[in-house]
Amino acid sequence: MDELRAQLQEVFREVFDDEEIALRDEMTGNDIEGWDSLMHLNLIIAVESRFGVKFATSEISNLRNDGENVGSMVSLLAKKLGRG
Amino acid sequence: MGRLEEILEEYLTASPARKRDCFNLAVKALKAELAAERFEEAASGLARMVAVDLDYPSARTLIGLRERLQGRVDTTGPSARLAILGGFTTTQLASLIELFLFAAGAKVEILESEYGIFRQDILDPNSPLYRFHPNLVYIAVGRHDLRTLPSLGEDAQGAREWMDTEFSQWAGLWEVLQDRLGCQIIQNNFDPPPWRVLGNYETTHPSSPSRLIQDLNRKLADEAPAHVLVHDVGELAAAAGRWAWGDTRYYFEAKLPCAPELLVDYAHSVASLVLSQLGLGKKCLVTDLDNTLWGGVIGDDGLGGIRLGHGSGEGEAYVEFQRHLKGLQSRGVILAVCSKNSEELAREPFEKHPEMALRLEDISCFVANWEDKAANLRAIARTLDIGLNSLVFVDDNPMERALVRRLAPEVAVPEIPEDPAGFIRALEKHRYFQVTSLAGEDFRRTDFYRANAERREAESAAGSLDEFLGSLRMTAKVAPIDSTNLERCVQLIQRSNQFNLTTRRRASGEVLALVEDSRWVTVAVSLADRFGDHGLISVVLARLEGEVFRIDTWLMSCRVLKRGVERFLLNHLVSEAGKRGAEKLIGEYIPTAKNGLVRDHYSDLGFTRIGEEQDGSSRWELDITGGWTPLPTHIEEMQANG
Repeated sequence: MDELRAQLQEVFREVFDDEEIALRDEMTGNDIEGWDSLMHLNLIIAVESRFGVKFATSEISNLRNDGENVGSMVSLLAKKLGRG
Repeated sequence: MGRLEEILEEYLTASPARKRDCFNLAVKALKAELAAERFEEAASGLARMVAVDLDYPSARTLIGLRERLQGRVDTTGPSARLAILGGFTTTQLASLIELFLFAAGAKVEILESEYGIFRQDILDPNSPLYRFHPNLVYIAVGRHDLRTLPSLGEDAQGAREWMDTEFSQWAGLWEVLQDRLGCQIIQNNFDPPPWRVLGNYETTHPSSPSRLIQDLNRKLADEAPAHVLVHDVGELAAAAGRWAWGDTRYYFEAKLPCAPELLVDYAHSVASLVLSQLGLGKKCLVTDLDNTLWGGVIGDDGLGGIRLGHGSGEGEAYVEFQRHLKGLQSRGVILAVCSKNSEELAREPFEKHPEMALRLEDISCFVANWEDKAANLRAIARTLDIGLNSLVFVDDNPMERALVRRLAPEVAVPEIPEDPAGFIRALEKHRYFQVTSLAGEDFRRTDFYRANAERREAESAAGSLDEFLGSLRMTAKVAPIDSTNLERCVQLIQRSNQFNLTTRRRASGEVLALVEDSRWVTVAVSLADRFGDHGLISVVLARLEGEVFRIDTWLMSCRVLKRGVERFLLNHLVSEAGKRGAEKLIGEYIPTAKNGLVRDHYSDLGFTRIGEEQDGSSRWELDITGGWTPLPTHIEEMQANG
């Protein structure tokens, strides 16, 4: 999981063009500057591209819902990659 | 300087496995340039990284860098105002289009309509679209913007009625745009859904969705007027594979027009059309010989030893590549050869090898020597009278490619694989030679350039220039612009760089608007001589303002330089101005990086300078109230259509 989080952190840094981003599980859209709906889409596309996974239609937007955070993205990724 | 160059070159030539790492290094280097406020270096480095095969996240990163450069660098290239009217979400597509236009040196301002209200934007005269005054409108729509398809029960008649109504609705929108803006329109055609309710029978049944959409696309291609350019989205989808293209998750969630990773190619395709409209398309392909047009080295392997044609799969791949180049040549792309060889050896396969698809007469400029290739490319551009940035250089040797990138960075140098079977794809994906119209002249262009070479030989044999011009037996036809010559005139307006006094680019729609405006005088000149027919080579657009005949545009194809066409044309203009009661002609020269050739155009023709601006542009006047003696020329006027 830690390795996955580190890889995800790289993608976040690339997408938000911010080398300072340090991901923690409890972080949400409010904790990262510029994480609006447009950037969310860019983030999801980049995660799919860099990890070689595909999110279901519902997951694309659900990852921004209340109660979702970086931790839920990491576990969803782990599940998709069969590392859960 | 050197360090950044090296990092960029390493990125451009990196293997797929190293691409990501090299990309990150290059981005870091560009950020360092930005931080040091070396904006020009950052901009030119960034431009070189922009390519059609970027993945979406990487392209986003470059867009981010581009945004940081906003307002920091000045583009000198041609400018345009592009309105993107979207039926789907165009945010991502628009920023990618802008990135490609920036990289190609165009200065383009973009207006994006809100998602899904393109019809309202077009119909409402008070919409932001009309305040923006675009000269290019891109109607970015997809199959979801078609009316409900007819039921599968409809027969051929019902399908046709649906299609006619659908077509006329789009045609109605074009008409409104043409009336209010007189501008060029780029209209998407439509991608059929990947699924097929009728299975294989979709191709046969007249009201099946894929059949209907294909038929509608055909109708758009056949019936769209000249100022509407159809962008072939159906083909983009087919080339990508329909299921890969139609990743509908992102349509359902975010109204993206296709799978996100294909947006880059989609935007590149649109941008290539815009660039072609702006005259920034490439004109000439310069090719190496050994291991590029045939396998092996002619100097070492000899005529019988090179791999070309039947007998080896690889040999067939080289022939196929040659046929592809010949196809490009036949529709107006100039071909040139640049090879490290002795000239005699280099020519031998063209003259003697039975499997060569390319012949010497297909090559407008043949350079085989031991000079460095960057210097040879400069010489080729000079010989053909075209800009260095109109050249594409194809060479199998990575070192030669790197050298040309470094010493002649204006030249486009695509990476090509070692396997010749991959050459065509590697070249074609860059969409260098996009045409937005084809006129008869295109198919004969190589003849012009070759005849020019012969003419130069005659020139040296003919003694004085005056005698030579007399011996050419030149005849010219002068006509206003009309539907028969519109496409060619627009091509000249968009492409001429050197003999172009004001470099005002206009698209078909805009020219058409002038033709219909009685205050404007349009002149198109065709020239022939004993070596051949040059076709339409010069255009003048002038506007009558009371007693002033104002020459807005005067341009000419460079292949007929130094023939006295401009003196001939001035005689004609004075007579036109006189007929309309004008007392003086006023001309204008606006300097660009390329049109130094015509700096003294008006003074050579006897005009008097009446003003000069800070930027070097000048205005010139010719008073004709005291009568006018026509300038002597060697050109005889033929009656148009005579």
